[in-house]
Amino acid sequence: MDTALTTAAAGMEAQQAWMDALSGDIANVSTTGYKSQRVGFRDLLYQSPGRGGAAGTTTGSGAAAEVIGQNLEQGTLEATERPLDVALTTPGYIKVRAAGGGVALTRDGNLQIGPDGQLRTATGQALQPPVRIPKGVDPEDISIAPDGTVSAGKRTLGRIALVEVTNPDGLQADGENGFLPTAASGPVRAARGARVQQGALEASNVDMASVMTAMTEAQQGYALSGKAVTTQDEVLAVANGLIR
Amino acid sequence: MDSGLYIAASGMLAEMVRQEQISNQLANVNTPGYKADRATQAGFGELLLQNTRTGASVGRLSLGVEIAETSTDLAPAGIHETGEPLDFAVEGEGFFAVRTAAGVRYTRNGQFSTDAEGNLTDQLGDSVLGAGGAPVRLRGDGTVAPGDIGVFQVEGAQKQGDNLYTGNATGAATGKVRAGFLEESAVNPSQTMVQLISSFRSLEADQKSIQTIDETLSESAGQVGAIS
Repeated sequence: MDTALTTAAAGMEAQQAWMDALSGDIANVSTTGYKSQRVGFRDLLYQSPGRGGAAGTTTGSGAAAEVIGQNLEQGTLEATERPLDVALTTPGYIKVRAAGGGVALTRDGNLQIGPDGQLRTATGQALQPPVRIPKGVDPEDISIAPDGTVSAGKRTLGRIALVEVTNPDGLQADGENGFLPTAASGPVRAARGARVQQGALEASNVDMASVMTAMTEAQQGYALSGKAVTTQDEVLAVANGLIR
Repeated sequence: MDSGLYIAASGMLAEMVRQEQISNQLANVNTPGYKADRATQAGFGELLLQNTRTGASVGRLSLGVEIAETSTDLAPAGIHETGEPLDFAVEGEGFFAVRTAAGVRYTRNGQFSTDAEGNLTDQLGDSVLGAGGAPVRLRGDGTVAPGDIGVFQVEGAQKQGDNLYTGNATGAATGKVRAGFLEESAVNPSQTMVQLISSFRSLEADQKSIQTIDETLSESAGQVGAIS
C-alpha cells in the first residue's frame, strides 16, 4: 500500500547522502592534502508488487547512496617556501603517531618543530619514527630530500616515513586530517617510489566547479523524489476518498 | 453486482503499481548505469455478452486490468568523465560481472573500489571478474587496466537490486570498458514526471468511476425502490 511512499522517500535519502558528502567537500576546499569523497549509488531490492501486478512483475524499492572512498587524484602543489612544508607528489602518506597510540597516516605535510624538538604535524602528531631537530639548528638550514631524508647541512637528522596501504578506501578518518589503518585497508607498508617536495603543500583536490555541478544534480534529484512523495500522498488521499 | 466497480478498482490497483515503479525511476535518477523500467498494462481477458432472452451477441466486456509485464530497457546510456581511476563504464553493449555469495551477477554501474587484498570490488565488496572469470587485481599504482575487466553478453537480464542483474552470460560483448568514466542513469526526468502525473490522473478517473457507479447503485436502491 505505502511502498511507493517509502520508495520515493528512499530516493530523497540517497540524494541527501550525496548532498552531505558534497557539503563535506566544500567545507574542506582549503584543507591541505584533503581528498574529495566518492559517493556510490545503487538501486534497492526488486519485488513483486502484489495486487495490481501479474506474476513475474517486479517493482524496485528506491535507491541508496553512501561514501565508498576517496578520489585519490593528486592535488595541486602550492609553493610556500617554508622549509618544514612537504608535499607528497605521488600516492602514499606520511606516517605519524596517532593520538591514541598506534599509527596514523596523513598527506598534510605542514610540519612544525614541537617543544621537545620533534617534527610534528600541524595537529601535533609526531612523525613515526620520530625525527628530532637538535637545539640550535636554524629551520632555514633544514633540507628535506625527495625520499624524505631530513638533514641540516651535512648532518642527517632522520627520515620522514612514506607509507601506503593496499586499499585507501578502507582507511578510517581520524578527525585530524589523517587516517587510521583498518582491516579493510590492509596493513601499512613502506611506499616504494613515494616522493615529497620541500617548500610546498598539496592543496585540497576538491574542484569547486564539479562540486557545484554535482550539487545541482543532487538538488534536482531530491526535488524529483520529493515530488514523488507528495504524489504518493495524493494517491493515498484518492484511495481514502472512495468512502464518502 | 455491477462489474464496473471491479473494473475501475482493478484500474486503481494497476495505477498504484505504476506509481511504485515511477517512484523507483525517480529515486534512481542519479544512479550510474541504472536502466529504465517499463510497466505494460493488459486486460484480464474479455467476456462476450449475450442478450439473455434472444441470445444475440451484445459485445465484449473487459474484466479489468493489471500490470502484466515489467521490462527493462537495456539500451546503453551516455557516459561522462569523472577522472576517478576506479570509475568504469561500458561503452556500448555488455555487463560487468561480479562474484556474489549467491553466484555471478551482472552490473552496468562501474563505481568500483578495492579490498584489502588488492582485488577490484563493487560497492558491496564483491569481486569484479575478468574475461576469464578470475577476480581483477589492481596494478602497483592503484589503477586497473580497462582491458583486464570482462564485459559479458547477458541473456535474460533481470534486475535484483544493488545494481545487480541475474541472467546467463553467453560470451564476450562488443562494449568497451572506459576507465575514469561512468554511465549516466537512463531515467529521463521530464518524461518520468509526465508519466507520474498521467498515471495519477488515471487513478483519479478510476476513483471517479467507482464513485459514480456507487451513486447509481445508491439511486437504484434508494430512489427506484421508494414508495412515495
